[in-house]
Amino acid sequence: MTVFAFLGALELGLIYGLVGIAVFLTFRVLDFPDLTVDGSLPLGSAVAATLIVSGGIGAMAPWVGLVAAFLAGACAGLITAFLAIRFNILNLLASILTMIAAYSINIRIMGRPNLPVLGEETIISQTAPAFAAMDVGQDFARVLLVLAVVAVAAWLIIRLLASDFGLAMRATGQNSRFVLANGGSSALCTYVGLAVSNGLVAMAGAIFTQLNGFADVNAGVGTIVVGLAAVILGETLVGSRKIWVLIVACIMGSILYRIAMAFALNTSSLGLQASDLNLVTAVIVALALVAPKMRKSGFKAPRPRLSLQKKVPAK
Amino acid sequence: MISLSNIVVTFNPGTALEKRALRGVSLDIPEGEFVTVIGSNGAGKSTLLGVLAGETPVTSGSVMIDGRDVTALPVQKRADDVARVFQDPNVGVCGPLSIEENLALAMMRGNARGLSRALTEERRQQFRERLKVLGMGLEDRLGDRIGLLSGGQRQALSLLMATFAPSRILLLDEHTAALDPKMADFVINLTRDLIAEFGLTAMMVTHSMGDALSCGTRTVMMHGGRKLIDIQGGEREGMTPADFVALFSKTQGDDLTDDSLLLA
Repeated sequence: MTVFAFLGALELGLIYGLVGIAVFLTFRVLDFPDLTVDGSLPLGSAVAATLIVSGGIGAMAPWVGLVAAFLAGACAGLITAFLAIRFNILNLLASILTMIAAYSINIRIMGRPNLPVLGEETIISQTAPAFAAMDVGQDFARVLLVLAVVAVAAWLIIRLLASDFGLAMRATGQNSRFVLANGGSSALCTYVGLAVSNGLVAMAGAIFTQLNGFADVNAGVGTIVVGLAAVILGETLVGSRKIWVLIVACIMGSILYRIAMAFALNTSSLGLQASDLNLVTAVIVALALVAPKMRKSGFKAPRPRLSLQKKVPAK
Repeated sequence: MISLSNIVVTFNPGTALEKRALRGVSLDIPEGEFVTVIGSNGAGKSTLLGVLAGETPVTSGSVMIDGRDVTALPVQKRADDVARVFQDPNVGVCGPLSIEENLALAMMRGNARGLSRALTEERRQQFRERLKVLGMGLEDRLGDRIGLLSGGQRQALSLLMATFAPSRILLLDEHTAALDPKMADFVINLTRDLIAEFGLTAMMVTHSMGDALSCGTRTVMMHGGRKLIDIQGGEREGMTPADFVALFSKTQGDDLTDDSLLLA
């Protein structure tokens, strides 16, 4: 693999590290399988691209785009939470409804299914002089920039989960009766969790768009599975249950996933083409879900905090 | 002062599965009273507790706490005033979280949960102090997952956690039923000690007539969704389970057939 391909994988891995953290929040912390992310990723892309291309707000557009993307994603998350909590719609189905609706919304925002942002001001072009002054090459600069954004986001999430409110969020997914009996609102926790999660995913979409020069309404397909792959790969890397370790593991898992994919694609003897990625990802996630069960009889391995498999009632 | 007036709870009303769990129960619990509630299966004692906790919606009647009508308040709002220990140790604590995280969660009952750090050194120090009371060595295991502890340890912790924040009433829902006899004794004694130490108002549902009479200041017997016997003070003083059964037969004109009440 070339250095260029490696840096590309690293960059993409970092961007999808945000998706990994987001999926960790919903699947693991809240125990709320949320497919909204497939819609909120292109939603973030669409919002950022439209803001930048419209030129209405000038030089700050790339940064405002990130914030606006976060807010738009948060709204999508709130809608899913509202459907699930207020109307008691099955969480998976509620999220699919929002995801489908987002497709139409995204095309409305952009006015068309695909919007290029080539030659426009982006977070890359705006930070380029600063990185040049520090004598950092352009390819490295991109990775460093994304790393900085992801690091800040990860720290904020870790800090959130370490707060009194965050503890209630973490308990909500595990034992909501306990949360209620202690005066916590499991509904509020779900609202906030889904808003933050989808905000992060939309921000990942906004960064992706600015780094790659386009927004596409179909870019969100499979986001949930890629995020899940990051979470599960990360969990197999670390044995700890500490929250900060698990969050960092999501990012590491995402990077590892991208590097593995880049390797697979670069190794011509495997005969894989880019469109095979979805199949490979699905197989990896399926294996990772089954593996803990198969290992149980063998050597001792840390059990995942919360299984996505059907729960067997304890006798 | 907790006051239940004319509480009726009917599950699945108007269907073939209709069940009248409570048929007009009134109960006043003055501050500082420790009521034990006994009754056979289906007598309505757990439903009564659920009504107080806000978990079971009432069909009619009202629940007042210190003169405020809380009948319509959901569980999490009522938790400001109501502390609770569940029968199932898995419900009373959050298994995947650590001991200190569970304690921090319980500590914030009745307070708004903000974004300040849940675990500070100051809080840890407080936790260690409180955990020493149990004599289980848990003060040195703050970071351990609470799910790794035995059922008895979790139940003792759940009880301790219920006293972390002030409450108008502490509800104990057969909280020793899932424990082995030795541990059940320990938890019952801890219950007595904590209630005395903090001067709590409490209601304990139990299957054990011995515990019902030896704990607390007042005993209520539920039967068929009604309050059948309600004794306290001199009348209750020195009463043995046999005396209680005799009282039941006299009141009901019927023999007590549920062996579990006598054997427990």
